[in-house]
Amino acid sequence: MTPLGFLLVVLSESASAAGQIFFKRAMAHEQSRMALILTLGIIAKAAGVFLWVGVMSRVQLSYLYPFDAFSGVMLMFAASIFLKEKMTPSLWVGVALICTGVLLVSRS
Amino acid sequence: MDEAVLTPTAEKSKAPKPREGWFFNPYVQLLLSIILSAAAQIFMKLGSSGISEMWLGFEGLRSGWMWLGFAAMVGSLFFWLYGLKYVPLNIAYNLAGLVQVLVPVASWLFLGEKIGLLRGSGILLVCAGVFVVARPLMRMEESL
Repeated sequence: MTPLGFLLVVLSESASAAGQIFFKRAMAHEQSRMALILTLGIIAKAAGVFLWVGVMSRVQLSYLYPFDAFSGVMLMFAASIFLKEKMTPSLWVGVALICTGVLLVSRS
Repeated sequence: MDEAVLTPTAEKSKAPKPREGWFFNPYVQLLLSIILSAAAQIFMKLGSSGISEMWLGFEGLRSGWMWLGFAAMVGSLFFWLYGLKYVPLNIAYNLAGLVQVLVPVASWLFLGEKIGLLRGSGILLVCAGVFVVARPLMRMEESL
């Protein structure tokens, strides 16, 4: 995959994750704010899907899909930086497995 | 596959526990959710074939496959939410990791993609990683 393609995948995953967080936050707000946050969530999710579809048109699905697991890795790092979640040894093992796997797939 | 299983829905009561019948077994529902989620990827891939610019795939909206893909995504979400009411979250998340296997297998079966040794082993490593992080990731997502 080209660097541009990879950038688009990362953007797509980030947008989806942002959408997820908006959806979650929306439930915690009172009615008037809720609609706004839900809308933001839907926009973010849609952006994630369309970015993904754009990359999809360029590469094989079995090549692209493993990159989806990256969202979990990004989420973990985001959580450890912003939410001070501990990165446990088993998390590092998982991250290493996912990154090695994605690297192998990207060379195929 | 989904029309066949979606038809026999004549239920009226809202019971607090899963309804009778194999179709309403929460694990069956989660499995359906996972299959639909993989199917959505296949449909969207089919719908994306004519896209000329890569930045945003809006052009794909002209394809019926793309809409079928969106429908499958939404369906998958409903099955998922139903299943989650009765299945412990960590089991559900581990099941969700199956999509990582299902999508490449379906790409091979239905899209005729060739999966070589390098890609195949990469996919297996990714799956292993997804299973390892499933439980802590679920906890983190909860705290977001």
